[in-house]
Order: sequence, then structure tokens, then C-alpha cells
Amino acid sequence: MFQPVSLKGNSPTPIDERIRKKFLILYIVIIILSLIPTSLFEFWYITLFWSETYFWIFFIALPFNVFLSIYLIQLSAILISVLFLKIIILIHNPKEGNFKRSIEDRDYYFWTLRNIVKKWPLYVTASNPFPWLKNRFTLRFYGVKIGKKTICDNSWISSEFVSIGKNVIIGMNSTILSFAIEQDNIILKKIKVDDNVLIGAKCVLLPGTIIKRNTKLSAHSYTNHNQVLEENSIYRGHPAKLKENN
Amino acid sequence: MEGEEGSKFELEVISTSGVYKTPFSLIILIQLFIGGFVLFIVNLWFINSLYYLLTGIELYSVGLKAEWYYWLLLPLNIYGNIFLFVFTVILFSGGIFRILNKISPPREGIFERGSKEWKYMHRRFWTAYFPIWLARALPLPWLDIIAYRSFGTRVGRSVVLYEGYVDPLFVEIGDFTMTSLNICIFSHLIYQDKLLIKRVKIGKACVVGPHTIIAPGTIMEDFAVLGVNSYTKINQKLEGNLIHVGTPVSITLPIQSVEESQHKAVKVKESTIFDNTSQKKTDSHLQEE
Repeated sequence: MFQPVSLKGNSPTPIDERIRKKFLILYIVIIILSLIPTSLFEFWYITLFWSETYFWIFFIALPFNVFLSIYLIQLSAILISVLFLKIIILIHNPKEGNFKRSIEDRDYYFWTLRNIVKKWPLYVTASNPFPWLKNRFTLRFYGVKIGKKTICDNSWISSEFVSIGKNVIIGMNSTILSFAIEQDNIILKKIKVDDNVLIGAKCVLLPGTIIKRNTKLSAHSYTNHNQVLEENSIYRGHPAKLKENN
Repeated sequence: MEGEEGSKFELEVISTSGVYKTPFSLIILIQLFIGGFVLFIVNLWFINSLYYLLTGIELYSVGLKAEWYYWLLLPLNIYGNIFLFVFTVILFSGGIFRILNKISPPREGIFERGSKEWKYMHRRFWTAYFPIWLARALPLPWLDIIAYRSFGTRVGRSVVLYEGYVDPLFVEIGDFTMTSLNICIFSHLIYQDKLLIKRVKIGKACVVGPHTIIAPGTIMEDFAVLGVNSYTKINQKLEGNLIHVGTPVSITLPIQSVEESQHKAVKVKESTIFDNTSQKKTDSHLQEE
């Protein structure tokens, strides 16, 4: 539906065109490596069941085979990208802070490289009928902390520097951005959402916001950089202001 | 809207969320299985002939003999399979939706978290999720409207509903309305562990602008226009033949025809060219009109 077509895409991972050109081969290698397990599985399936005695199993199990192969592609894509990501993090550890948006800046360079590695698995898992697979399953592999019983399926969440507590509801179309591009600078800062928080539809959280326990952010509002929303209260507006404090 | 709770809702102005807790993933699995089963049975005859094409052996006594033009029909078969799958899933889940409606008929009002209404609204939400996801994944733009109609939502003739979140229950959309990108039409809202359900009515030939939220209980009269990036309060009434803008909606503007607005613009231009000194005169002249 429910998810609009424009939101079906992967979570926000902007990639610099200058750096994308250098790592095009890496991107293609990730795609091909993630397709190998499924091709092996299909080969096994056909050699086992394509015979005169077992042909009926071949046809009956064909729909299951199709769905299984789709999920195999998604799982292997996630695992391979995590492997590449670990290697990249060994070379350069991700840091928070303000950086220049040029190729010489090492932090910006490796930030975009990480985004290139995450692009394909996020794209594949986004086009999946099961709503929990895009955010709650894949983002946990990339180190995003998402607590138990949270709902964040129809929202855009950055794949780094985000931690979400238990029992949180994040509404339709709301975005959580741990990065901001301002002219020639890029800002990376951690976003923290505590337990039992309710974020409404179409909210935008900018980098550095901290939402403490039991607060409610009303729909169609956004937070400033480094804003702290206090406990047990309701916030609303552009940018969010205190409305009610219990 | 009676008692203290109702007044509090009206004070608070706007909904907080549009999602129910914990997806009911089992229903999606059942829908997938039913769709796949129907697909399998319908495809048996075609596979029969395909097997004959590949090996030259007849699998079943009843079946079509393969001809050369069957290869030309193969892509049509694949595409037909996709549509068959989608239509069976839509029909089947529409049936489940109606059964759930029979078990506990949907009501408007305010409900506690964990009550019977909450549980059944949540189940209805997730039965509607997968068929509409599928319909939106296909290139035909009218398919999701058929899906909505199978759940009992009143959607009029030639309605534009390509994008956006629309609740399947308690929503009425009139003929010829147009909704833009990235909109949310909620007939429910979650507020402080309570669930509010109220009917949303959108009249004939309305325009809902991009990035807007329509809260439960709003009534849009015929020919009303909701502006870009604005949202409505609970139980708000938008008058017809006017443009409504604001967060929440507070400003109303008249709808002008293109000729009228151009005529005014030309008049302002002429006055500025020939009468630079007397700006006030032209303003008063415009006001008189």
C-alpha cells in the first residue's frame, strides 16, 4: 500500500559520482558473488529432480524453489556486503564529525565507499513483500541497533550511527538521517531514540537528535541539529517545540 | 467525540502515527501459498506441452501437442502468470477481509490498546498489505483501485491513486479526484495508547496536493483543493471551491481561472510601467474589482 512507490527504494545512501566511477567493479563483483549460491542451488535442484521418476516433485516444488532462490539472493547479498564492509572498516574506522566534501578527505571517501557496498543488498531487500526484511533485518547486520518490538518498516533509516530502543513506533514515510550535506561540508552525527518513543508520520530527524524515553513527536514535524527531546513530553512543529509535559 | 478524551483529541490537533504494531506475517505466507497453488494448477497444461517440446515424450494423455508458435506464446504465458497470481491474491484476501468484518464489524470511536477493535483493525491492515503491495508493483495504474474495491472501500470513477498510503476502511473517495505523490490518508490514529477511528470523506473532483496528511474525520467537499505540504486537523471540514493551505490547515484561498489571474497580472504590469509614482491608486483599483 501502503508503502508508496517512491519509498520502496533503499534507505538513503547518497553516493558521490566521482567515487562511484572508481568502484564500479567492486559493485559488480558484489552482485555476481551474491548470485553464485542461488545458481549452485538451482543446479542441484535440476540435477536431482529432472528425471522420469521424480518429475512430479520438480513441478510441485517449483513455486517454493522460486521463492527460496529469491530469499537466497537477498541473504547472500547481505552477508557478502557485510564481509566487504568489515574489510573497509579495518582500513578506516568510521568517525562522527564535520568533514569536507572532496575526494582528498579520507572520511568522506570511505563514507561513500561504505554506501556503495550497502547499495545492492538494500535495493534487493527493499523490493520484498515481507515488510520486516528491509529495515529490521538488514540494518541490524550493518550495526544499527534496533530494539525488540519496534515498528520501523515504512520509513527511511540511515544505515549508520543510529540506535533505536525497544517498543518504538516510527510512522509512515518518516526519515531518520544521521548525515547532512551542507554546501561543501558533510555532517555525520549519531541519532539516539530511547524506549517507548512514538514518532508520527512524515517526521524528519536531523543528525545529532536525542529522543528520550516515553516522548511523542507529532506528525509532519522535524527536529534541528543536535536537538534533545526530553522525557515524557509531546513535541510538535517546524522545528519541534515542546507542547505538553507530563 | 464525547467526554474528556474527545476534547483532548481535539486539542492535540494532529495524529501521531499511522502504523499498527507487529506485522501479521503469517497471513502474507498464506496469501503467497494460495496464489502459488492456483498458479501451479492453471500452469499444468502449459508445462505439459513445454515438456513435450523439450523431450518429445508425452507426460499426460490429456494435453496439447506442441507447435512452433508455442515458443512465441511463452512470454505471454509468463506475463499472464504474474497477473493470474496478483488477481487470485487480491480476490482471496478480499474474502478474508470480509470474513474478518463479519466476525467483528468495524466501528468508529476511541479504543484502548489491546482491545478487540485494536486487534481486528491490525489484522485487517495486514491482510490488505500484501495484495496492494503486489498491485503497486505492477505497471497497471488501475490495479490498486480494484484491490481497494475488493476490500469494500468506496472509490469513484477515474480516480488517480498511484501513490501514497490509503487506509482500506472508512475511506470514501468521490469521482474524478486526483491525489498526488507521497500522501497519507488515515482513517485511524494512535495517540497515547489509544486508537481513534473516524470516517474520511473526499468529495468529487478534489485535488490532494503532494506531501499532505489527511487526518481521520476530515470531510473534503466537492471541488476542494488541499495545498502542498499541509495537513488537516481531526474532524476538520474543508469547504468546496477553495484552496486550503497550512500546517495545520488555516489559510483559504479562492480558485482563480488562468485567464483571470493573467488578466490581473497584465493590469499590474501596465500600471507599474505607466504609473510608477501612484502605486496606491492601482492597489485600490484592484481592490474594487
